[in-house]
Amino acid sequence: MTISPRIDDNPCRPRHFKPPPCAPAVADDGPGKAALETCRTRLLVTAALFACVFLVVALRVADIVLLAGGAAESHIGRFRIPAPPPPGRADIVDRNGKLVATTLDTPSLYANPRQILDAADATMKLKAVFPHLDRDEISAKLTSDKSFVWLKRLLTPQQQFDVNNLGVPGFQFEHEQRRFYPDGDLAAHVVGYSGIDNTGFAGIERNLDEVLKEHPAPLQLSLDLRLQFILREELQQVIDDFTAKGGAGLIMDVNTGEILAMVSLPDFDPNHPGAPDPSNPELTPADRMFNRITLGVYEIGSVFKIFTAAMALDAGTSSMTSTYDAVHPIKIGRFTIGDYHGKHRALSVPEILAYSSNIGAARMALEAGVQRQQDYLTRFGLLAPPSIELSEVGSPHFPANWREVNLLTIAFGHGISVTPLQAAVGASALVNGGILHQATLLKLPPGYVPEGRRVISPKTSEQMRKLLRLVVEHGTATLAAAPGYVVGGKTGTAEKVLGGHYAEKKLLSTFIGVFPMNDPKYLVLTMADEPHGNKQSHGFATAGWTVVPATSRIIQRIAPLLGVRPVDESAPEIAQALTIPSLQGKKIEAY
Amino acid sequence: MSRLALLFWLILVAATGTAMFVVKYQVQDLEEKIARTAKATVAEQHEIRMLTAEWAYLNRPESLDAMNRRYLSLIPVATRQLHAGIDDIPLRPAPPSAEEDLVAAAAAGEPPVPPSAWHKPDAVLEAAEPKPGVVPAVARPGSGPSVKSLDDLFARISASR
Repeated sequence: MTISPRIDDNPCRPRHFKPPPCAPAVADDGPGKAALETCRTRLLVTAALFACVFLVVALRVADIVLLAGGAAESHIGRFRIPAPPPPGRADIVDRNGKLVATTLDTPSLYANPRQILDAADATMKLKAVFPHLDRDEISAKLTSDKSFVWLKRLLTPQQQFDVNNLGVPGFQFEHEQRRFYPDGDLAAHVVGYSGIDNTGFAGIERNLDEVLKEHPAPLQLSLDLRLQFILREELQQVIDDFTAKGGAGLIMDVNTGEILAMVSLPDFDPNHPGAPDPSNPELTPADRMFNRITLGVYEIGSVFKIFTAAMALDAGTSSMTSTYDAVHPIKIGRFTIGDYHGKHRALSVPEILAYSSNIGAARMALEAGVQRQQDYLTRFGLLAPPSIELSEVGSPHFPANWREVNLLTIAFGHGISVTPLQAAVGASALVNGGILHQATLLKLPPGYVPEGRRVISPKTSEQMRKLLRLVVEHGTATLAAAPGYVVGGKTGTAEKVLGGHYAEKKLLSTFIGVFPMNDPKYLVLTMADEPHGNKQSHGFATAGWTVVPATSRIIQRIAPLLGVRPVDESAPEIAQALTIPSLQGKKIEAY
Repeated sequence: MSRLALLFWLILVAATGTAMFVVKYQVQDLEEKIARTAKATVAEQHEIRMLTAEWAYLNRPESLDAMNRRYLSLIPVATRQLHAGIDDIPLRPAPPSAEEDLVAAAAAGEPPVPPSAWHKPDAVLEAAEPKPGVVPAVARPGSGPSVKSLDDLFARISASR
């Protein structure tokens, strides 16, 4: 912009006065005026722009200061308390919320030997805290010229405190995550264990590894540690009393399939999975980690008769009043099927169960036929691996070529091996009204009943309840009668197959008990591997003398915890529900 | 005038600067405090995890069982203890009214029962046994004329003769 020079000829003007460049005192016409107009317009535009920007700034300031604008909030947000470092692996808790497995940030001790002033003194002091460490080894480590040596991994808080108290410069801690199982071996086979790198190696830890890694919320199991403890204690008692090789047990809710306790003995401590058992150093870690309930497959013997009876009654090939000749052993090929508790007379279906007659069961199966037997065993889930949240699952063994001889032996539980879990799931379906629920180790919401599959009619289920009750009242399991809890069940004693032959002295005694029989709620399975008779059992090692009394004790201890109240078993409404009319007036002699 | 303005602006600049530094340091302090608190919180959370684990360890059934054996000797509830509910327990029977007894005895011409025999535990126990079909007697407070003292009682008995 150009400004036309003008002479100010006012003699009175102050010396420092300079006329404003763009504001001519006198508006003159001509090209000068146009230039001035342009100048003014430009100034106005610029001023307006600045005013706008300042207005924006002012508004923003007012917003932040007076109205607490968004920027201020986000600034505070940066300093929000950081969430605790993810535990790496979610906790596992039991159905009552008691901790079963947790991840702890555990200090490990290392040293920088270059910072250690007096290695001998440091060694001596460290030895005082950790008496088990090797003196020469520590000394060698502390005098080496490295700048990092591990001294002891995974310390307890007390040990860390003690080491800090030593005041030795150069000792430092590195935090590592470690899985801790407060209950040790109590639920070892269910929970399993995981390694230092947070990978599950067994049990739930292995099967639900991804879930535990990705979801920080605790995983709630269906187990009840109190029941678990009772079951384990009683099974240990059986093993001790009858010098058995092992034992296994299961408590489940027959109406939902929830497993409340699962024990397999011998077991292991998941905190030290590979460590030898101090009481029995001969056992290998593999022996102790073997889950007899889900991985072991066994011929469970006479327990299978309940499946045979359920099949025959449901298919209509037998009725409660059908009788079968049990006088003569059945000879088929080179096999002879005889009875252990031989009665040598014709037996009705209830009597076959009560006396556990192999001949009777075989004849019942014979009437039903191979096809029906296969169909029903498939329905009961006995011919496919059990479904459960564990990786240690065994496949049942059964003949590929199912002939008549198999039909007969499978009727009383020989020639077919299943996991105890399958037997328990199948038995639950027989008594709960006929609905099969898959077993689960995860807690279901209270009152929720998962969808099941109908396997037998409600009427057959009612008959099965009566039959199982009869076995306990008058049959092979009279010692299971926990008075007041209306227990019913079926025993099974099988000879173990070793090298293709049945070993007569090596028994597997099993009992499946259900209570209360008038309205079945819980199932207790107990199993003893190679029990030996003792004075108490009059030399018998059969199920009726070994695991049956234990089940009675277990039921009496767990029923109050499960809220099952004892009832008067002779009360008319209960007796009515469980009496078998065809046996009225007949005498069933007890064993 | 312009000098005053200059002074005003200089003071303003100095004040703003000082205020800014003061606030800046305050903010720094606060940030450090937040960081410290956050760190302490994390440490506390670790501590809580550790203590929860220890609590679970100390509460494992095995150790509770051992402690029970050592200090309490509690045993599992027996089934017979569960048969009866609160409704099955009979109410305490009415204590035999001393006056009525004495009156009856006097009427029969027997000597008064000495006070030491008034309380008859056997009789009370017998009465406590619920008999089928018999509703146990219920204590009725204030039934019968009240007796204030032994002298009062003896006086009444002699009066009734």
